[in-house]
Amino acid sequence: QSLSLSITPAQTAAWRKQIFQQLSERTKRELENFRHYEQAIEQSVWVKTGAL
Amino acid sequence: MTDDKDVLRDVWFGRIPTCFTLYQDEITEREAEPYYLLLPRISYLTLVTDKVKKHFQKVMRQEEVSEIWFEYEGTPLKWHYPIGLLFDLHASNTALPWSITVHFKNFPEKDLLHCHSKDVIEAHFMACIKEADALKHKSQVINEMQKKDHKQLWMGLQNDKFEQFWAINRKLMEYPAEDNGFRYIPFRIYQATTERPFIQKLFRPIASGGQLHTLGDLLKDVCPSAITPEDGEQKTQVMIHGIEPMLETPIQWLSEHMSYPDNFLHISIIPRPTD
Repeated sequence: QSLSLSITPAQTAAWRKQIFQQLSERTKRELENFRHYEQAIEQSVWVKTGAL
Repeated sequence: MTDDKDVLRDVWFGRIPTCFTLYQDEITEREAEPYYLLLPRISYLTLVTDKVKKHFQKVMRQEEVSEIWFEYEGTPLKWHYPIGLLFDLHASNTALPWSITVHFKNFPEKDLLHCHSKDVIEAHFMACIKEADALKHKSQVINEMQKKDHKQLWMGLQNDKFEQFWAINRKLMEYPAEDNGFRYIPFRIYQATTERPFIQKLFRPIASGGQLHTLGDLLKDVCPSAITPEDGEQKTQVMIHGIEPMLETPIQWLSEHMSYPDNFLHISIIPRPTD
């Protein structure tokens, strides 16, 4: 009997695969053509400066 | 191999491209250009639209400006519902960007709650989290947290900080190993076609026989019309975060991975489009 370490029956469940697939399709549909839009929440970047 | 944890990131970073336009009857001093923005699905309209408000106020007379509110095709949009839920419920299967109309007059008192400051949103958000934990853990987890942990949940959402939010939220998603799940699942089911705001009942993630309850079991129990078509044809879509999970998906897994930051699973039932 072969032993698969990376894939368990639970991980290959159809419902799980379908969720991953649909989320990736959602990103494509809702984001791909709109990446140039401004984000509603700015991600502020903190730059720490100081004497060495 | 994709990890279940990736789902948390996909849910958190979901965005709706949106075009805001000013309502035609609003009085302006010059023409109001539309404003385009990527809205976080998990956030709230009044929490992420400061730029929109500023943009339109610039062209209006000060005396014409009062509380801002938003509408989509005649429906006032409830700011206290997450943005992703509003989109799934009212605008799924429509062309993007989502077209939202901005109003400053005639606030629809009977449809919308007032939102005069971000404190109101924070209070609503924390009340939802507390209600969810009452269902999941009899409030034990949220009550054992410190005030600064509560603040971290809110600040994580407000500033779009995934790590900051989940460092605390993971505690709200734990349960004793011997229980196999939460006490009850915090969920709300919304239907665009009914007057009732939403359906919320007590529902356990595990059946008395020990088997996992699924999304299909939940719907069969609390909203059978969503999955029992009269003529055999499925006429509805069951949407969470813009996708249609299979009815075989365990509800405990959905609650842990696809709840909104308020810890509720917000499920939209909408008419399936006919081709």
